[in-house]
Amino acid sequence: MKVKPHRNLVRGYAQDLRLFGSPAAKAGLAAMLLVLLVLPTIVQDDFWLSVLIYSGITAIGAIGLNLLTGYCGQISLGHAFFIGAGAYCAALVGGDLGLPLPLWLLASAATGAVLGGLIGPFALRLRGHYLAIVTLGLIFIGEHLWRNLTALTGGNNGTSVLAQPRIGPVDLGALEIAGENYSRNQGYFWLVWVLVALVALLAKNLARTRPGRALCAVRDHDQAAEVIGVRAGRYKIGAFMVSSAIASMAGALFGSYQQHVSPDDWTLLLSIQYIAIIIVGGLGTIFGSILGAVFVGALPALIDEYSSAIPGVATDAGGDGFISVFALNQAIFGLLIVLFLVFEPRGLAGIWFRVKAYFKAWPFSY
Amino acid sequence: MRSTNKGVRLAAAALGLMLAVSACGGAGEDDGAGGGKAGAPGNTAGFDGKTIKLGVITPLSGTVAVIGKPLTSGNEVWFKALNAKGGIGGKYKVELAEEDSQYKTDVAVQKYNKIKGDVAAFAQVLGTPSTLAVLPQLRTDKILAAPASLDAFWVREDNLLPVGGPYQVQAINAVDYYLSDGGGSKDDVICTMIQDDVYGEAGQQGIDFAAEKYGFSVANTQKFKLGTENYAGQIGALAGAKCQMVFLVATPSDAAKIWGTAAQARFAPQWFGQSPSYTGALAESAIAPYMQQSVLIVAEGTEWGDESVPGMKQMVDDVAKYAPEEKPDYYFAFGYNQARAMTAVLEKAVENGDLSREGVLKASTEIGTVSFEGLSGDYQYGPADQRNPPRASTIFKVDPTKPFGLAKVKYLLESDAAKEFEFKKADL
Repeated sequence: MKVKPHRNLVRGYAQDLRLFGSPAAKAGLAAMLLVLLVLPTIVQDDFWLSVLIYSGITAIGAIGLNLLTGYCGQISLGHAFFIGAGAYCAALVGGDLGLPLPLWLLASAATGAVLGGLIGPFALRLRGHYLAIVTLGLIFIGEHLWRNLTALTGGNNGTSVLAQPRIGPVDLGALEIAGENYSRNQGYFWLVWVLVALVALLAKNLARTRPGRALCAVRDHDQAAEVIGVRAGRYKIGAFMVSSAIASMAGALFGSYQQHVSPDDWTLLLSIQYIAIIIVGGLGTIFGSILGAVFVGALPALIDEYSSAIPGVATDAGGDGFISVFALNQAIFGLLIVLFLVFEPRGLAGIWFRVKAYFKAWPFSY
Repeated sequence: MRSTNKGVRLAAAALGLMLAVSACGGAGEDDGAGGGKAGAPGNTAGFDGKTIKLGVITPLSGTVAVIGKPLTSGNEVWFKALNAKGGIGGKYKVELAEEDSQYKTDVAVQKYNKIKGDVAAFAQVLGTPSTLAVLPQLRTDKILAAPASLDAFWVREDNLLPVGGPYQVQAINAVDYYLSDGGGSKDDVICTMIQDDVYGEAGQQGIDFAAEKYGFSVANTQKFKLGTENYAGQIGALAGAKCQMVFLVATPSDAAKIWGTAAQARFAPQWFGQSPSYTGALAESAIAPYMQQSVLIVAEGTEWGDESVPGMKQMVDDVAKYAPEEKPDYYFAFGYNQARAMTAVLEKAVENGDLSREGVLKASTEIGTVSFEGLSGDYQYGPADQRNPPRASTIFKVDPTKPFGLAKVKYLLESDAAKEFEFKKADL
């Protein structure tokens, strides 16, 4: 009789680092892929699809910020700047030059990486609050640029982003498979969420290998990291570059989906929203970034959709009720950040890990 | 080896399922829905044979809700009054589907997607950024929308149905008034203070055009960001330049701080405020005396409750009947006008027997001139490249005894320079 080792037995580092090692993880992966493929064909409603598309775009940006803030410990308020840069780059490369999807996406990522590489060196001499203040400056410099580089950004009017989601003969804006027409929102859902999966995989690979461990060492104590042989400076700049490249990609997708962007889209508020997302989702986890983005993106839509069922919420102009949907959303949002920071600093991902650990040890959970 | 096989099997299963589902999962455009020719219009998106449904995307919450709420209320009151008379063509009632945009572009796009399938047209999309964000989709979906902002770009867009004289026209008329009845001359030091965004640029564009026409130069321009806390720097610069006339493009909360700072600094040029700079609450605030002395507002229509203007009488009667708690407000009047223009389009579409999206768009090019009965200048519609917006503005002074705190000084002033201003199609 062949005796199989227990599913939790690990016999080496390589095995320990496997992404989808256990049968449960494999099943989870299959389920996620299935949802990705099938969801838009079931939820055909344009409203929910667009909510999920924006959430997916935010998830990509949040993964980028989490690499920088969650893994490397560099607090950046300048994330909105890189997102904006990506959108304008997509407008230029995908719209004005008319290049296909992979090229404008990569061009945006490259632009983001270069800009991040320019900002990165500031992180070498500044830590914590001081770095936050410097990156805050980036937002305002960016806003000035976006409002005044009229040839590129259209100034205050903003600019159309005509970057098409087209790869060769396939146009994701108007998919046709086996005689069935798919709407633009369905096509974008697939595009955005496949990219979320790819970026998440990339980031996870980065995080579970040497660079990831080096980033964590820098986060926990950069001088100690130097002592054990991690070149803190190189990793800080590298983290900035990767993070802003991913942010720019998110910006390019945002622009291409919304088709029009203006400097009012890239304000400090957007950066703060991203920080809130990674706090709620879970600092230092890739999965948490996605959870946080979906949660923060979909919750307002849910509240809004069912606000008529919540007593005391005013739903239309001059309607009854003591609180508007917006105010309720703001209040819940603020409350969530406080509650998560106090009770669950590891965020939604932390809750998930705890649930997972419980079932892993079942029936001997404690 | 085993696990590879399993992976392959899983992938095959997933693919098979996808194909199975995809056979019925497309949500792309299917042709078919359309209108019958002549006679009763056929059922279509937003029209079930009895009721026409129109969308409204507006900030009902957040800082811009002070504009969104009364404006939407203006839409509602007009359509309630119309429904009481039978509705469009005497038989089709109009219903509004209101969605809160929070004055954010991404939320506006989501809400647009939410209701676009259920509406025949959009009776209101508030805000320049929101309108620009939904415009590309309006074009692909062939839907007509009425923007609730006075930007000049809207004039030449096929999918938009603007009302009112654009900001540029207001600015030009303000200068004309200052140079003629206002006692100013072109040798005066004329300055501007503008919000650093599209809205501010529109006002500045009008002033620059007027400067060329009347032969003066703008001596000093101060820019500020929405929601700035301290205006001492800008006011100091304007006072230092010895400005005698300052054209202000702002929103009410900023305008209150700006005039408050100017009053403290004892800087009292002749201010002209672009219409959105003012709201009724300013006339009841501590800066009212300063405003009475130094501020004129350039807007449209007439003072609230002016019975000599037929449109105003009708509006005041409708408000008393359908929204008695509504406070006097010119954003309300704007919403009311907007609904009147949309009604003209729908009447035409019903007459053509086609309430489909294409039918509504076609009707919007055929309605000719729409009169707003003195609430705004008459708008000459038609194909977008031939539209001619009203060139008239009204100059108001602040008078706390009046219902909205404004008393008319010069009613529907239509300067020659404003008539000459050309609206070009913008590359949006």
